[in-house]
Amino acid sequence: MAETVEKIKLLKSSPDLSAATYQIHDESHTIGNSLRWMIMKNPKVEFCGYSVPHPSENVINIRIQMYDNASSVDALIDALSQLDKVCEAVEDSYLASLREGKFERWEERY
Amino acid sequence: MQGHDDGEPTVRIREVKKDRVNFVLGNVDLAFANSLRRVMMADIPTVAIDMVEIETNTSVLPDEFIAHRLGMVPLVSANCDEAIRYTRDCVCLAGCSFCSMILELKVSCHDDNTMDVTSDHLEVVPFPPDEESADPGEELSKRGEWFGHPVGKHDRNVPPVLITKIRKGQELKIRCIAKKGIAKEHAKFSPCSAVSFEYDPHNKLRHTTYWYETDIKGEWPLSENAKEEEAPRDDEPFNFNAKPNKFYFEVETDGSLGPQEVVMKGLAELQTKLANLILGLKIGGADQIDIMPDDVPVPHVPPPDNAWSGGDPNTWGMHAGSASGGSSSGWSQTSPTRGGAGSQWSNDASWGGATGTAGWASASSPQTNGWKQ
Ligand SMILES: [Zn+2]
Repeated sequence: MAETVEKIKLLKSSPDLSAATYQIHDESHTIGNSLRWMIMKNPKVEFCGYSVPHPSENVINIRIQMYDNASSVDALIDALSQLDKVCEAVEDSYLASLREGKFERWEERY
Repeated sequence: MQGHDDGEPTVRIREVKKDRVNFVLGNVDLAFANSLRRVMMADIPTVAIDMVEIETNTSVLPDEFIAHRLGMVPLVSANCDEAIRYTRDCVCLAGCSFCSMILELKVSCHDDNTMDVTSDHLEVVPFPPDEESADPGEELSKRGEWFGHPVGKHDRNVPPVLITKIRKGQELKIRCIAKKGIAKEHAKFSPCSAVSFEYDPHNKLRHTTYWYETDIKGEWPLSENAKEEEAPRDDEPFNFNAKPNKFYFEVETDGSLGPQEVVMKGLAELQTKLANLILGLKIGGADQIDIMPDDVPVPHVPPPDNAWSGGDPNTWGMHAGSASGGSSSGWSQTSPTRGGAGSQWSNDASWGGATGTAGWASASSPQTNGWKQ
């Protein structure tokens, strides 16, 4: 019935992948904007931008252009794992603040 | 607001109540803070009534009106990840005990007073044995005592949700099937009745323009959060390099999940999205091109943490008026930043170089907030 769709595919790129456009299926601004931010933090990245091509299509496009013919895939992977670390750090910090308990508290249970 | 960014992300909880948590998120970018907001509102699964079979309805409201109102009733959804499947992932044909809950509403009025039909009249009934799937699954054992029950049903202090009113001789006989879903599908699945999100309470960044008649300060009172930040001097020049650094959140739930669970699940959901992307790169790389080296580890998705706990079905519920449907207009709005919207490339200060590259170079602290250098 439903054919499998690729989560991420390459739309267009230079032969060495130093400049490429990726299309990510089933994602939105939620991932797009954060990922763009994290990729832009990489000093080897010349440009990164994302777009939602059409609101009724469930995809986003991410364009990455690198300096010195570096690989955009590496930048993408690095950014993904960096974002993962940010999530972890926020979670740790949240739980630490919760343990400190300098706030009004209500007991909760299942 | 400027200078001291790029440290470790910080979280300071200001208030925790049974239905809400208020915290300040610091040292992250607007894009990330907004991702967290969006994911908490739209991507966390809960259960809600999804199909309604009406056998008798002699009330004054039409069938579809009642069906809609039933869908909005928040149901206890703690540990939804493990306790129930999506029907689309289930082996059954049209719903079984592993992917659905049955709730019945059977009321009739026999006296002269108008009778309120409320969420407290919804009774969870077990799946009939012949519809029970033989498939072994752990889901049922992962459910709390009141999983799938209307929020507040077992607590006298929580007023129930009013569904309709009936008079003498009128009757309702309804069978509802509740399913698991997320708010991207339908707003009734959102665990949040509201998520407030604010940054830059003094509008130093000029991300907004206030309309006023004669006097901006007089006509636009400052929010409570303004106490957390220094007010700008009247003659202070506009710093166009400044970026927002502190984000004021208040996550209010409808009772289907506890506020702690919403925040934790939100972060976990973000991580799941990231992990899926890396996985997609690995799989896609194989037949397409060598876009992925084999040795890249897939980040782990953290297991549910027990430092927080889920919503308490016994002590907490909500008013009908604030049913989860209220959040529908909230999450669909794209992003509070100008960068988030539309189909244009949204790019961040990379052109001028003023902040684009200077930003990472000043990064003093490592790993968690991106590039150290
Ligand atoms: Zn099933």
